[in-house]
Amino acid sequence: MKITVDILQVLILILGAPLVSGIIARMKARLQRRQGASVWRPYAELAKLFRKEDLVPPTASAVFRLAPMLLFGATVCVAAFVPVMHASALLASSGDFFLLVYLLALGRFFLSLGALDGGSAFGGMGASREALVSSLAEAPFLLGLVAVAILASRADLAGIVAWTLQQSIFNISAVHILAFTSLAMVSLAETGRMPVDNPTTHLELTMIHEGMVLEYSGPSLALIEWASAIKLHAMLALLIGLFGPWGMASGDTVWGFAVALLLYCAKAGILMVLLSVIEGAVAKMRMYLVPEFLGVASAVSALAVIFTMLAKR
Amino acid sequence: MGFTGVAFDFLLAVLGVAAPFILIASRAESARRVASTLILTAGLAGCLVAVSGLLRQPAPFLDLSWVTPFPFSLAVDRLTAFFLLLISAVTVPVTIFAVPYFDLHYSEPRRNWTWTFYSLFLLSMIVVVTASTGFAFLAGWELMTLVSAGLILIEGDSPERRHNVFIYLLMMHAGAAAVAACFFLFLPYSHGLDFETIRTASATIPGPIRTAVFLSAFVGFGTKAGLIPLHLWLPRAHPIAPSPVSALMSGVMLKTAVYGFVRFAFDFLGGGPSWYGYIVLLAGAVSGLLGVLYAIAEHDLKRLLAYHSVENIGIIYLGLGTSLVFLAHQAPIWAALALIAALLHTFNHALFKSLLFLGAGAISSATHTVDLEELGGLQRRMPVTGTTFLIACCSIVGLPLFNGFVSEWLTFRSFLAGSSLIGTKAQIILPLMVGILALIGGLAAACFVKVFGVAFLGRPRSVEAEHAVEVPLLMRGGMTVLAAACLLIGILPGLLLRPLVSLAQVLIPGAGVPEETLSIARIIPWIAAIVLGTSSVAALLKRRERMAVTWACGLPELSSRMQYTSTVFSKPIRFVFARAYRPDRTIETLPADQPYFPLSISYRSVRTTSYERALYRPFVEWVVSLAHRLRRLQTGNIQIYLLYIFLALVSLLTFLRFQN
Repeated sequence: MKITVDILQVLILILGAPLVSGIIARMKARLQRRQGASVWRPYAELAKLFRKEDLVPPTASAVFRLAPMLLFGATVCVAAFVPVMHASALLASSGDFFLLVYLLALGRFFLSLGALDGGSAFGGMGASREALVSSLAEAPFLLGLVAVAILASRADLAGIVAWTLQQSIFNISAVHILAFTSLAMVSLAETGRMPVDNPTTHLELTMIHEGMVLEYSGPSLALIEWASAIKLHAMLALLIGLFGPWGMASGDTVWGFAVALLLYCAKAGILMVLLSVIEGAVAKMRMYLVPEFLGVASAVSALAVIFTMLAKR
Repeated sequence: MGFTGVAFDFLLAVLGVAAPFILIASRAESARRVASTLILTAGLAGCLVAVSGLLRQPAPFLDLSWVTPFPFSLAVDRLTAFFLLLISAVTVPVTIFAVPYFDLHYSEPRRNWTWTFYSLFLLSMIVVVTASTGFAFLAGWELMTLVSAGLILIEGDSPERRHNVFIYLLMMHAGAAAVAACFFLFLPYSHGLDFETIRTASATIPGPIRTAVFLSAFVGFGTKAGLIPLHLWLPRAHPIAPSPVSALMSGVMLKTAVYGFVRFAFDFLGGGPSWYGYIVLLAGAVSGLLGVLYAIAEHDLKRLLAYHSVENIGIIYLGLGTSLVFLAHQAPIWAALALIAALLHTFNHALFKSLLFLGAGAISSATHTVDLEELGGLQRRMPVTGTTFLIACCSIVGLPLFNGFVSEWLTFRSFLAGSSLIGTKAQIILPLMVGILALIGGLAAACFVKVFGVAFLGRPRSVEAEHAVEVPLLMRGGMTVLAAACLLIGILPGLLLRPLVSLAQVLIPGAGVPEETLSIARIIPWIAAIVLGTSSVAALLKRRERMAVTWACGLPELSSRMQYTSTVFSKPIRFVFARAYRPDRTIETLPADQPYFPLSISYRSVRTTSYERALYRPFVEWVVSLAHRLRRLQTGNIQIYLLYIFLALVSLLTFLRFQN
């Protein structure tokens, strides 16, 4: 039963990912008084791209072709670390959140290389900016996770979630608030959302992620888009699991899991509303304000780690 | 004297006597072939001795005290065996690579000298790690410095190169003085300088002397390891050596300093107060961060790699410092974990850094330059070099499935374990170090996206790069062996972790088996299976492929000058971290009286780092002024000199009189 649910969790994260992107896009559209496309549009988009042929630039080497596949593989593996319906995951092990962060880095590394392989200025522009953002985002990401891990005295994500489940919902410590703030800020940078990057832009002055994938088409582009959707979904699930896991199934009953899944959808819905409000309300930052944004995230996460000393004496 | 003893003697005899003798005796092509084959077999023999030493076979022991004027003996214990394995495992592929490389790059007479020095260089490093007396250690240490300086000078002797070698020798000898001091500080308390005596004596020496030993070991070995701010020689000396030698210098020679530090801090002293650990942590953090920041700003590939050695030494010292902190707080199991992390990173760095330098050598063989701005598009022209170089890049960045990740993960995990030291400073300092190491890792990733992307991908930026062809078979072979080793340790880390656990248990008494070394070895193969499996499934989704010209914004064609260059790529990061660089910029407009209608504008930017300004320049000025003042003593008058000698004699006699 446990292993079935673990696999089910991974499938939910992977197969539900386009839906999450679709819902956010739809919410954003509604907030901007547009009709918006159907929430199922990302699936149709993926299906369309998978049917097409791949266009490859003449300068491209094997790295260009391999990058989308490795990115997809690494992101799917990330999904296997995140608890969704119960406090357990397919790949749970001591210190697994370091693996999670570095698997994301693995995908990003190859995507940046693929961008440079096209031989155009846009790929380099996107890769160079991504290098700046991601190199500064890694530290607050890990520090935020470390703060929560210290609080729970556990080194695996599933263990941290299990510990949080046992706490009272009204007993939230300052560490949780600080860690949540920094991880939420990092999530925006990691997944390329406003105000760090604009996922819908095609203006060369502003694009980061879009600049990197400009040369990709067909199934390769589909894999990249799907991987970013999984990344976004996994980050949402991670935030929910670490900071609001209440309602996750503790027993082994089908009912328990059904309720947990429903509650997960509700919690994810709240986060999606938040995200689309942020995206609708704020403008994209200037490129050189991003380091300050991530600097604030780093400071907040460092404070979270320092405050664990007060929580545990 | 078992089989391993014979192998050990064979190894020393080949490197110290047979190979140099053959090379000096004969200039023939065949002599070089014989010598290089002998060196290669010596490397394999070294692997054999090391592996059996790690598996606790009777240790080979060689006592040469009957020929040397001081006690000189070599022995292989566990720590030695580990470093011997590191040296031999890197020697074998580098030697394979060096055979065609030296032929391509050097004229007939120079080749023999290069091979002779190469052989002696290997010998000196093996003597350093197997020495079991202080004198043997110091002799090997000195030989290592001199021979490597010789190898740098073989490449040419321009004034600039000589200046760099001068700085190298100067700093190495300052460091060697500190290393010698470490040994001699033990002398009043132990009756000799063989390691066994030192170890037993170390329990009896008073606290201040222990601190003095620790600090001089830290400074002496730190100079050799290239810790900032003692690293000044490293980016000068490493890039100008022949590439296989650069590979050995960065990959292996720096590790002898790590060996020395571990030998003193852990084996002899057995740790100390917690501030020992904090000093080492601080040095590691500074070296790691500044090393990677300086590396990003470089576009000379070999200089960039040299700065990355500084960074990786920083990561190793982060592990060592953490281990010392845990030792001070009586947490042997975590101390063992951090020490294993540091030693594994030492091994991993030896593999991927020598591979990167060999890659740089292959690039320079094919294009005659290592300037990133002149490269590009090499992956399609040199697929084997490119692929192995990419594996090395992923390893040094510490991406999962590659070897660098395992050691960085262990370091991260031991930082996190610091939170268990409740009620101490370490409870906060160690977990915060996670942020430092993450920043180092992130910046290293940015740097190697730049290196690989600019050198191997996109369009060629020069005619040489456009016409580059793949390097000869043996060069490719050497690189492939190292790349395979990186992948093997990356996916099956248990192979090395198991012997490392027993090594750590020898160095840290009372340490059990850290659970984390088992869990990482268990989970990594699963991750490899999932990532590679999913990627292969994704590959099946791809149907057809068509070549299509890159979009050029409506221009007829893209040119290589429209691509991002190395300098531009790193500009955002240099902009954000501008305080770490502070270049001396001069802009000259000619003629000076027409600022608005200049005929020429010249721009020059020299990176003089703040510690060069604040630390080295005042020191050099002080030494020079002291020398000026001392010159007054040197009158050239022989009577005055005789007076000096007489006064010295009298004062010595008085000193002796009053001492008794």
